[in-house]
Amino acid sequence: MNKPGADSKVRITERSLFYWILRRHRPMQLFLLLVIVISLFFRVFPLEMQKRIINEAIYLKETELLFLYCGLYLGAVTIAGLLKYAINVMQLFTGQKILVEMRTELYQHVLQLPLQFYRKMQPGTVISAMTSELNAIGFFLGGAIAIPVTSVLTFSVFLGFMFNLNPLLAMLSIGIYPVELVLIPYLQKKYNTLNKRRVKTTRAMANVVNESISGIHEIHGNVSYGLEEQKLSSFIDQLHALMKKLFIVKYGIKFANNLFQSLGPFILFLVGGYMAINGQFTLGALVAFLSAYEKVYDPWKELIEYYQSYQDAKIRYSQIMKIFDLDPPHLLLPAGREPLALPGNIQLSNVTFTVGNGIKLLENINVDIKANEQIALVGFSGSGKSTLALLIAQLYDTSRGNIEIDDYDIEDLSKFDMGKSVAMIAQHPFIFSGTIYANLLYGIKAIAEDDELPDREQILSVIRDVGLQDDVVRFGLQAVLTAEECKPFRNKFLRMRQIILTSLRDDFANAIEFYDATKYLYYSSIRDNIVFGDSLSGEFLVERLADHAQFMELLREIKLENTLLTLGFALATQTVNLLADFQDDEFFFRDNPMEVDEFTIYSELLERLKGPQPEDVEDRRLLLTLAFRFIPNKHPIVSLPSALEQQILKARHLFQEIIVNIDMDHCKVTGSCKPCDKIPKCGESSAFIPFCPSEYMYTRTLLDNILFGAVKSEKLLDDHLRTLAQQAFQDEKLLDEVMAIGLKFEVGSKGDLLSGGQKQKLAIARAFLKDAPILIMDEATASLDNSSQARIQGLLENEFKGRKTVISVIHRLDLTPAYDRILVLKAGRIIEQGTYDELMERKGAFYELVHAES
Amino acid sequence: MNLSTQNPDLCSKCQLTDVQEFLTRFPIFSGAPAGVVNLFGYLSKKEEYKKGQSILEEGKNCDRLFLILSGKVAIFQYYNERRFHLQLLSGDGINYFGELALLAEFKWFFSAEAWTDVELISISREAFSKVMERYPESYQSMVRKIINVRIHRFVDQSSYLLDHISPEAWREYPEEEE
Repeated sequence: MNKPGADSKVRITERSLFYWILRRHRPMQLFLLLVIVISLFFRVFPLEMQKRIINEAIYLKETELLFLYCGLYLGAVTIAGLLKYAINVMQLFTGQKILVEMRTELYQHVLQLPLQFYRKMQPGTVISAMTSELNAIGFFLGGAIAIPVTSVLTFSVFLGFMFNLNPLLAMLSIGIYPVELVLIPYLQKKYNTLNKRRVKTTRAMANVVNESISGIHEIHGNVSYGLEEQKLSSFIDQLHALMKKLFIVKYGIKFANNLFQSLGPFILFLVGGYMAINGQFTLGALVAFLSAYEKVYDPWKELIEYYQSYQDAKIRYSQIMKIFDLDPPHLLLPAGREPLALPGNIQLSNVTFTVGNGIKLLENINVDIKANEQIALVGFSGSGKSTLALLIAQLYDTSRGNIEIDDYDIEDLSKFDMGKSVAMIAQHPFIFSGTIYANLLYGIKAIAEDDELPDREQILSVIRDVGLQDDVVRFGLQAVLTAEECKPFRNKFLRMRQIILTSLRDDFANAIEFYDATKYLYYSSIRDNIVFGDSLSGEFLVERLADHAQFMELLREIKLENTLLTLGFALATQTVNLLADFQDDEFFFRDNPMEVDEFTIYSELLERLKGPQPEDVEDRRLLLTLAFRFIPNKHPIVSLPSALEQQILKARHLFQEIIVNIDMDHCKVTGSCKPCDKIPKCGESSAFIPFCPSEYMYTRTLLDNILFGAVKSEKLLDDHLRTLAQQAFQDEKLLDEVMAIGLKFEVGSKGDLLSGGQKQKLAIARAFLKDAPILIMDEATASLDNSSQARIQGLLENEFKGRKTVISVIHRLDLTPAYDRILVLKAGRIIEQGTYDELMERKGAFYELVHAES
Repeated sequence: MNLSTQNPDLCSKCQLTDVQEFLTRFPIFSGAPAGVVNLFGYLSKKEEYKKGQSILEEGKNCDRLFLILSGKVAIFQYYNERRFHLQLLSGDGINYFGELALLAEFKWFFSAEAWTDVELISISREAFSKVMERYPESYQSMVRKIINVRIHRFVDQSSYLLDHISPEAWREYPEEEE
């Protein structure tokens, strides 16, 4: 468990940019400085060598000296280069390390900000701040100290060298620098202003895009593409105009730099040349001076660039911190004690909750809830039921009055106290991308140690309790298991297959066409009929078959290729003719080997073809692919004559014998359960798994493996046989294994691969697994069907009675009799409370609500 | 395209043409434009049931119309936990059931069981809606035919029940109900 605590007294948003740089990774940064100082020597040394090469070696015509100085020069520049490389790498590493810490701590802070903050804040702003803008700062961080130190030191050393050579010339050549000191900051200021506006505009644009993506259903539904484009295009135009100005200033700065850089040598040649002609300066010294001048300009330029990037990073940083500059309302961890799991005596005194413009959503709420009491919150829409539940869960904070849980003021309780004490189920729960398992443990994992996490039995029990069992089993059956994953259960799953193939055969035969090595399969594709198995490498996938030389050779040998081309041609022709006006609707392609998005390809193919035997390889591949996909009893658009069936069976036989080298004889015995590797010749080509009763097919789903055949009727399978299969699983004690596999199902982004009911059940299971003493349900069962709702209600009445304090916001009043007390809210006030019978007897607001519902 | 002229081994359209021809024999589809019948033929499904097997069950969601290709189908209903036989439909004549499922979503109010081995052609409500979206001009006429078919069946079933009602249950006037 990760229990983050406040490691620093300074609030993250109040820290300066240099706070991070000066306090993080100091040894690394000191080492970096040391390397920089060492590298300086190796950068100045070649200049001295230049001077000596000209003044001593060349002037004295000393070859040995020439070699020595050249060697030393080469050595020094190589070392200087390597050190520069090391400095760059170390700089970057340090910067990225600081960035990681900055991002992690900021994210932690952002997550703890109150919900009210997120009501006002657009997600796009937060996302852009946390990602791209922080990234840009990361590049600055690494060099924040190293660059100015290197530059100043290098500048000073080279300048010193120049003064040493000739003070007058040195003075003249740096005379232009002060001009730059005025001009560049002026331009930079302009750049900063524009940059601030750029950041703002980019964020606004990100918000528009984010909103469009989130509301894409509405956009499609209202065909409001134009409206959304308009919204974005104004920002695009603004950004375009800003970027133009930004680049004009940016390149203005660059131009000024380059101009000043070029002015230097001009002065040097003029004055230095004059002095050399008059013998006041040696040629070697002039060359060395020129080199030094060139080098002295580099750190100067680097300093200016550093200044620019510092200004840029400072703006970004301050903009980011400004957004998040507020304190989390509650401590994460309690000070000086372990987090508490409070039993759930809840007392609300004069609780008022006000939103913007002084609108009171709740006013003077006074309620005492005893531990283990079950309370229903009912009332008219907008009466404040959900707000009250959220206040008790500490998701909102009261504007006035206070809430106490077991004599602790909720204001003083830390998030971990609340996490341990309260489990909350929202009306529209959020499901995170990841597996069902990860989502189930989401609540408990946040507050518990690893050894406190529920075991598999507990998880499966909750899954059953909330009625998610059938769904999880289904997910499990749809899983494609690797050999490694399957290993512990392989034989058990094969045993299940045996049960279906033998004792349940008659039941399943109506819905499944079992794989039979001796028969043509009318519910399987031609590809499956010939290959009759799968290769783990995907070598024999439909899309690759037409390019498989050996396979195609076999088809030609038995004169099947042309027949299949004709079949593909017939399928394409019939489909294109029949569905020309329906190519925009996937529905019409459900029972067709052609996919809806391939229609145009095949339509164009037919336009250029003169007959079913094209010359072009790609055209042949297209026709063959269609034929390989053809399933006679599922694709009624063309019929398959029995003569072709015989040819295909012959192809199957040859394929097994010649291409995959498998002896299928033992697979022809129904009920054979002898593993393939125990049979001579079978399994020699281990990457190929035939449709053999003894083989687990690792490329297919668990359900495919157990049914061992092609589905004739999904409906029959769904209506009746799934139950039968589940019973068999139960009998074989395999159901838990299948459910455990199902828990690994990836639910997609925001749980998009789950139905509304499944998401809701998952959220309920997540809260139940947390097993907190207080359970708050905000219309938690509203999107469930009646029987699922009744099941959850039954749990509350039987399992949680006397064990948990339950506060449940309810719309369906027929569920309220089971609660110990009903609070009726209207316009932010509690107008009635009591048991169901009491309230009905009183014939007040609740009575009216009940009658209005019925 | 007639594929048989290019490859005598392949019988293009056979299955589809057979189904299309079969459909035109039914009052719901007779007189419908060829395009509509062709699409229904293409979107229909062949279903096979063994003798004694349930085809549809009372109380379950309805979703398709069934046309009997061959075999016999028993239609029955449960009343007071007793099974009441309503009709025995045979593939020898022009027989079908579940036609209302094309128009609306409801729970089956009867059950159907394969009395012999049965071959059926089914057309789903989804397919019906999709085709009608494309041929809205045919919708009214199809609905009218479905209602007529339903009335005929209602008359047939009432006659059957009246034929089999016990003399004690006969009532001529409402006041005899008590």
